[in-house]
Amino acid sequence: MNNFGSVVALFQGGSGDPRTAAERLGDLLEWYGAVGDLASGNPRGFATRKASLAHALARTAERPDDECHAVALAGVLHAVGALENPGLRKGEALPERLARMERWDIPAQGARLCARIAALPHAVADLVRWQAERWDGTGYPDQLLWHNIPFAAHLLAIADAALRCESLDDALTTITEQSGRAFAPEAAMLFLRWYHLAGGEEEPFEFPFTALRAEATDPEELLWEIAGRVDAHNGVPGRTRRIATLVEQTMRALPARDEETAAALLAAACHGTGELAAEEVEDARFDPLARLGIDERVRNGRRAADLADLVPSLRPAVPILRSRAEWFDGTGKPRGLAREAIPLGARVLSVAIAYEGLEAMRHRPASEAEQRPLERLQEAAGTQFDPEVVRAFTRAVRTPV
Amino acid sequence: MIELQERTRRISPSRLHEILREYDVQSVVDPMMGLPTHLNYLKRHGIAVHGGDLLEWFVRVGEGIVVNDLTILRDSEVAEIVEMLPGRIYPLEMFKAWEGVFFSEEQCVYLGVWHDNVRNLRSDGQTGLAVLGLWRVLCYWLFKSHYPDEMPDIPPSELAWSYIRDTEQWVMSNLRRNTVRHADVLATISAQQADALFLAPPARNAFRNVDARIWMWEAWWQGNPYLNVEHLYRNSLFGARSADEHGYTRAVASILSAADAFPVVIVQTSEARLRDVEPTVRDARPHVRTLAAGPNEIYLVATR
Repeated sequence: MNNFGSVVALFQGGSGDPRTAAERLGDLLEWYGAVGDLASGNPRGFATRKASLAHALARTAERPDDECHAVALAGVLHAVGALENPGLRKGEALPERLARMERWDIPAQGARLCARIAALPHAVADLVRWQAERWDGTGYPDQLLWHNIPFAAHLLAIADAALRCESLDDALTTITEQSGRAFAPEAAMLFLRWYHLAGGEEEPFEFPFTALRAEATDPEELLWEIAGRVDAHNGVPGRTRRIATLVEQTMRALPARDEETAAALLAAACHGTGELAAEEVEDARFDPLARLGIDERVRNGRRAADLADLVPSLRPAVPILRSRAEWFDGTGKPRGLAREAIPLGARVLSVAIAYEGLEAMRHRPASEAEQRPLERLQEAAGTQFDPEVVRAFTRAVRTPV
Repeated sequence: MIELQERTRRISPSRLHEILREYDVQSVVDPMMGLPTHLNYLKRHGIAVHGGDLLEWFVRVGEGIVVNDLTILRDSEVAEIVEMLPGRIYPLEMFKAWEGVFFSEEQCVYLGVWHDNVRNLRSDGQTGLAVLGLWRVLCYWLFKSHYPDEMPDIPPSELAWSYIRDTEQWVMSNLRRNTVRHADVLATISAQQADALFLAPPARNAFRNVDARIWMWEAWWQGNPYLNVEHLYRNSLFGARSADEHGYTRAVASILSAADAFPVVIVQTSEARLRDVEPTVRDARPHVRTLAAGPNEIYLVATR
């Protein structure tokens, strides 16, 4: 797979980042979990809360360390199977009954993805697979029964149910009522024990970095794989890679510093996540250059930035994502930044995204877009876009790779 | 208190489906299907499924969630199952033999009422769904006797209502013909051709120690609390050989031989039993791939 050298440098601590390889991979996995949450409509931070509570339950049950770590990791990655699920994917208009059946496959799909991440402990994939099973065999995907469900998977199910209640007090009622039906009686009693020992206080999440075999997974490859899945979920396959290629070529043509290029590429990789919670991709309703769509672009940029801001390794992308709807003349949003006050990466990324949108528009049936995308970008230079960036971008696009 | 086995047979249909997809399997036969929830999963994913079992209640459930594409039980129909209907005479003493041994008097009365009501349902599909839903009630009661303080008391009709209503979600069509038959292994294999045969053979002495949740429900379905399911197995392929190691191996070999026409045979076993099963599979097929998902879930995928 063709990756981008400067992002590798960033992930290898090239920007002076003191984080270890395991921490950087862990960051990426935590972000992946948050992306899964967004795709499945869970509230922000749900995955880490679930991981933390399930881990606390495992500790209360005095399970071995490796099992506690596996539970935490499975909690973090519990919803990654939601990406590309036909019951949630954009552009699928399934009747609710069929969509619900498709959503039953989220855990199994998540398990397949986890099994491909070699750095994860072996048990994680199965815990993700069986986290939605119910003691009485009415869960999904496998309708497993009773003790055939690993105890740790029950803990994930309990954590999930507890966090979906209005409060942990309500959770007490729900979980005791469902003891012997949704949850193993032993696991339900364990929740009561934890509640009384911890006073119902959730612990802050601590990622089990030591449980990862960091050398077994290339974080950059994983980053682009996630970005590709986000694209597929959004119904725009391959978009992120195309945009990232344009960003890298433009940064080289300017030229820009390595750290700036790496941050811009990171922002390109993350930008599609902002659209996961939206009903449509941002260019579906508005021309990519129209001011009308600016609020949507701001919202998507903010969502993507909020997700990236969760973990240190992706933070260089945050200011770029937040500023991607700023205009060069200072009339953009959200802060009305002008000229060099807008991060260089944001100036480049906004041009690349617009170009990709214009190109996509040309290929839509019944498109009225007759003007060539580069000409339209040049017309917007000086107002929406940085003229120097547009010149570099034009050179980069016209130069055969 | 009745003893319940800690571990029963675990089939992960999502994992099985991953294997079937790899081999481009469009239809599968499971001649020892047991509770056919795994066939329901495969059906939901578009695979034509065919199952068979010696226990009739498994077959009835199969008619509800494997064969049945359309029929569900509506609220009014569920209401006619879970409580006594006026004007009907019920065999309230039918399960009296279990009273005070496994269940309370009230529970035994309900078992009799449900037995009668389910037998009066209009279609095989509805009957299968009701049998499945009510079986979950039986399991709840049995567990409740193990965890008297940890599980809430739920009125029988309420529990039955919720479990029967719940079965509706498993009803769907895959636009294929799916079948189940009440037959021994070889009869099912010879009656149905498919891309793959899936086999999860029982442990050698499994038929001598059938789980209470399984035999009791067959007894309930037959309306005979004294039913001994070991008798049902006695003349079956595995039943006659359950104590004899060589006989057991020969039984597995005879299945593999009968399955010669199936392009793919998948045998699920465990680490503990792998040595018993693997040589026989390798004798029967030139290409055997071992996929170990865990110590209790090992798949031998045999191709020609």
